Amino acid sequence: MSTPTPVSADVLVVGAGPAGLYGAYCAGFRGLSTVVVDALPQAGGQVTALYPEKEIRDVAALPAVRGRDFVAALVEQASAFGATRLMGRRAVRLEHRDGEPVVTLDDGTVVNARAVVLTSGIGTPTPRPLECGQEWLGTGLSYFVTDPRAHTGRDVVVVGGGDSALDWADTLGPIARSVTLVHRGAVFRGHAATLDRVRAGRARVHTETRVTALEGDLTAGRLAKVRLRARSGEETVVAADHVIAALGFVSDLGPLRDWGLTLRGHTVAVDRSMRTNLPRVYAAGDLAGYEGKVRLMSVGFGEAATAVNHVAVDLDPGLSLFPGHSTDGP
Amino acid sequence: MTYVIGPGCIDVLDRSCVDVCPVDCIYVGERKSYINASACIDCGACEVECPVSAIVVDRRARGDETLNAHLEDSRAFFLEVLPGRDRPLGDPGGALPTGEIGVDTPLVAAHPKRNGGLP
Repeated sequence: MSTPTPVSADVLVVGAGPAGLYGAYCAGFRGLSTVVVDALPQAGGQVTALYPEKEIRDVAALPAVRGRDFVAALVEQASAFGATRLMGRRAVRLEHRDGEPVVTLDDGTVVNARAVVLTSGIGTPTPRPLECGQEWLGTGLSYFVTDPRAHTGRDVVVVGGGDSALDWADTLGPIARSVTLVHRGAVFRGHAATLDRVRAGRARVHTETRVTALEGDLTAGRLAKVRLRARSGEETVVAADHVIAALGFVSDLGPLRDWGLTLRGHTVAVDRSMRTNLPRVYAAGDLAGYEGKVRLMSVGFGEAATAVNHVAVDLDPGLSLFPGHSTDGP
Repeated sequence: MTYVIGPGCIDVLDRSCVDVCPVDCIYVGERKSYINASACIDCGACEVECPVSAIVVDRRARGDETLNAHLEDSRAFFLEVLPGRDRPLGDPGGALPTGEIGVDTPLVAAHPKRNGGLP
């Protein structure tokens, strides 16, 4: 495997949620080259993950905006100065070399940054594990569909009740030999239109049902069948070449717990300039903790601006802390 | 701020809320589940998921004597020593790795038994 090319930037923003995206804009406005990384493939953090269709009403000058549209606007603003986004990669290590932070991503990419702004909110998302069959992970069990065509002509079982489970059952319907959708609850949380398509298609849908066992030739990595048990007690065995568990994500502070940062409960302690205890490492948004903190996006935006403008002065002490007015630009 | 699981959960224990909590902060006792307020991010994903509408936001719980008692009781679940244990749960850092707790607070344990669970 080849090592990815190292990346260099003035500022590395870790987390592409609202605070991180706005921080990227602020950094660009100050003329700082900026890289944004996020563990998930899509930007927007909690807004995208938890409430993309809901209306947000507590951001200044936006009486009501749909989550999805809000994120699109933040991405557009963040891209104004050409910030580079590295999505679907998590920051796993932070070191200092010659006083400047070096962050390694889980694909091996090394980011040499002159400063880091941590805006990773509630932390690193990891897939919620299926309650059985972990030994099949990597062969007969996965948490994502990277290429739907890989399931052509196969018997596939999709587990979950949210948008991802419905989307994959919908996408694989015409490709796979069979699709079985299994959900522990009675009601699906995902988009109603997608559910209608799944129900109208060839997929067999089992609600109030749990997966109790994955069976097959483990040594050869060949899954054969999946056992299901309904709330009623009824047991079903379905043929399966592959199980896709789309059970959502659980977030926690993740790797940054081991970076030597001073923590404050589930947050990283910062001072009034949003500096953490580590040199050239700042935090903003939900991740940043201090006495009197109010966990709102509007507060996170202010913190991101504070962090980035302090970064600008750290990197060039001749500059003023105040960035100037955006209305003066071209 | 946090959400709180009210007495509607007792003997239902559906666990749908547990499945959707993005920070894994809902812990299962013997007859009821409890939200760890120090980890809850106030997202509300659990509220809509509960089949018996047992979950409310703390702001609303405070206006109701029974719900408020359960708000206090949820704190007790983590901060006080539960029956059969020798120290408080504290902030265990995630319900999945911790596993089901299997015991309830005295308030919940004393609640009259309800049969049948989900209607």
